[in-house]
Amino acid sequence: MHGSVYLARKVGLAAGTVFVAITLNFILFRAAPGDAVSNLSRVPHASPQLKEALRHEFGLDQSKWAQYLLYLKELAHGNLGISFADQQPVSHDLATALGNTVPMVLLGTVIAILFGVFTGTVAAWRRGGITDQVNTNVAIAFYSFPTQWLGLMLLILFAGVLPTSGMTDEFAIDPSWWAHLQDVLKHMILPSATMALTLYGEYTLIARSAMLETLSEDYILTARAKGLSNARIVRRHAFRNALLPTTTMVALSLGYVVGGAILIETVFSWPGIGRAVYQAVLQRDYPMLQGAFLVLTLSVVVFNLIADLLYFKLDPRVTE
Amino acid sequence: MNSTEPAILEVRDLVTHYPVRRSLADAVRGRPRRSAHAVDGISFDLRAGELLALVGESGCGKTTTAQSLLRMVEPTSGTIRLDGRDITHLSQRRLRPLRRTMQLVYQDPYESLDPRFRARQTVAEPMLVHGIGSRRADRRGLVDELLERVGLTPPELYADRYPHEMSGGQRQRLAIAASLVLSPRLLVTDEPVSMLDVSVRAGVLELLDGLRRESAMAVLMITHDLSTAAHFADEIAVMYFGRIVERGPARELVRNPRHPYTKALLSVVPARDPRRRAVPRILQGEAPDPANVPTGCRFASRCPSVTDACRLVDPALDDVSGSPGHEVACIRSEELASDSAGKVVTT
Repeated sequence: MHGSVYLARKVGLAAGTVFVAITLNFILFRAAPGDAVSNLSRVPHASPQLKEALRHEFGLDQSKWAQYLLYLKELAHGNLGISFADQQPVSHDLATALGNTVPMVLLGTVIAILFGVFTGTVAAWRRGGITDQVNTNVAIAFYSFPTQWLGLMLLILFAGVLPTSGMTDEFAIDPSWWAHLQDVLKHMILPSATMALTLYGEYTLIARSAMLETLSEDYILTARAKGLSNARIVRRHAFRNALLPTTTMVALSLGYVVGGAILIETVFSWPGIGRAVYQAVLQRDYPMLQGAFLVLTLSVVVFNLIADLLYFKLDPRVTE
Repeated sequence: MNSTEPAILEVRDLVTHYPVRRSLADAVRGRPRRSAHAVDGISFDLRAGELLALVGESGCGKTTTAQSLLRMVEPTSGTIRLDGRDITHLSQRRLRPLRRTMQLVYQDPYESLDPRFRARQTVAEPMLVHGIGSRRADRRGLVDELLERVGLTPPELYADRYPHEMSGGQRQRLAIAASLVLSPRLLVTDEPVSMLDVSVRAGVLELLDGLRRESAMAVLMITHDLSTAAHFADEIAVMYFGRIVERGPARELVRNPRHPYTKALLSVVPARDPRRRAVPRILQGEAPDPANVPTGCRFASRCPSVTDACRLVDPALDDVSGSPGHEVACIRSEELASDSAGKVVTT
């Protein structure tokens, strides 16, 4: 298969997935009990006229098919609807939330990947020994801890030392951009650390098993028979080949990271997309939820696509 | 074969045991830790330009022998001398520079080449590691020369290929080139053609044969194919269950096999003339458990000519009278010498 054909196929597949997700997203919220208006008009004894007016205003008096087409059309223009909770455009709220989530999640994930791949590689090289046992078991422990529990433990341990809630110091008056950055980074430490700790274990296990697999390959034996030093074998032959499954697995798991931030953001009151979802659920803010789900789906699909493209880039055999 | 010339490789009483995991229940009962006897006391010499074929069935310890010789697996006891130097207990670090002199070609060229290395890199890497060819142009020239030597011509056509862009035979040639780059004195080949198509086997074997003749390299070829061994080897050693049971000059061993196991192996080699049908001696019975070596002859459980004495005496490798250089480990070999059933190969 030629390179560009492979690429086009993968992108096409991703686009198809997104379309299916959008459709399911639409159906899901229409299938939920109670219609949007009954949630919107929570005023007791709302008059039938008011309900009818609202229904008309939100286009709910049209056929489901017409609603679906309208939804697609508005979506194509980037319109995700209006939040029931604060009457702001959902896209605006989501953009703000996402902008807050991404740096925190990114920091935690990058640390998790670096630390996980490092400990996994070391564990594989010293397999069976004490280093392997300790590394692997600690990784499994952190992998199994519930995120919110780990978050709460860190919160209890570091309360008073580090900020435990929110993204900025509410009482800072008109800080300079530098002071603001420092403030945000300080607030980011605990949620990012929680993220890194819950994620790294999985990466350790992935990297370890990928390394073990490559280390048992004959070309590693060949390299040893050629008189290569251990460091060179690990660096030039084992690690580079183990990187392939590791990278794709990591990219795949990254898709769920944005969604996984829900628990962390709730524990640390981080005003990101996870917290937005949590609050939207509490307030039955359907447009907001619909938009947030779309973003979460997109992140999974996009990272899947990235995983495929990385595979393409890393494995000489795929370009064939 | 000139026996006055010093051997490149001298192996004496090489033993390699693999530990067998003891179950917790056994450990509690105080049963001793057991081990699988993969190689159990073998000795041989290999001189420059000589090709020794180590023949035997799967699991008899051929590959373990090869890996122990090169210290890829730690031998349990015995000595290995390379050019007169005892390498049995050298540390891996001190062994590294010596790896130049002994090289290994693996069975499976689909596994033994790093999939992310182009042909040129595969051949050039050992040079970088051992400091051969300080300039880039020198190394390039040497890579081209080697590719040409192993028959990957023209080299510029193959140099930038990845292993997956080559056929099995081409890959094995590449693996050989990567071994030759260090000009080894000893080349160990572990079933070099068993994974290849029959049509390309002869080419690869002839390449190996030619290389040892022109560069006086000693070659140890591990194979389960007696007819290949008979055709290319100077000497054949037949292995069974961790021991050499018969050894001799290739022609002599094939014409006058003395061990019942060798006879059985030869009986299944198809004759060149399809009208001459020999009755293959299919061996009955099971090979013993490698973790539980029986007393007496190891072949007794499957030998068609077994007697009670065989189960008691562990036969040593003794000279066959009237046949110089031919040795066999069978207490009944003289008795059975008149038995002609093994002579089916008409070379």
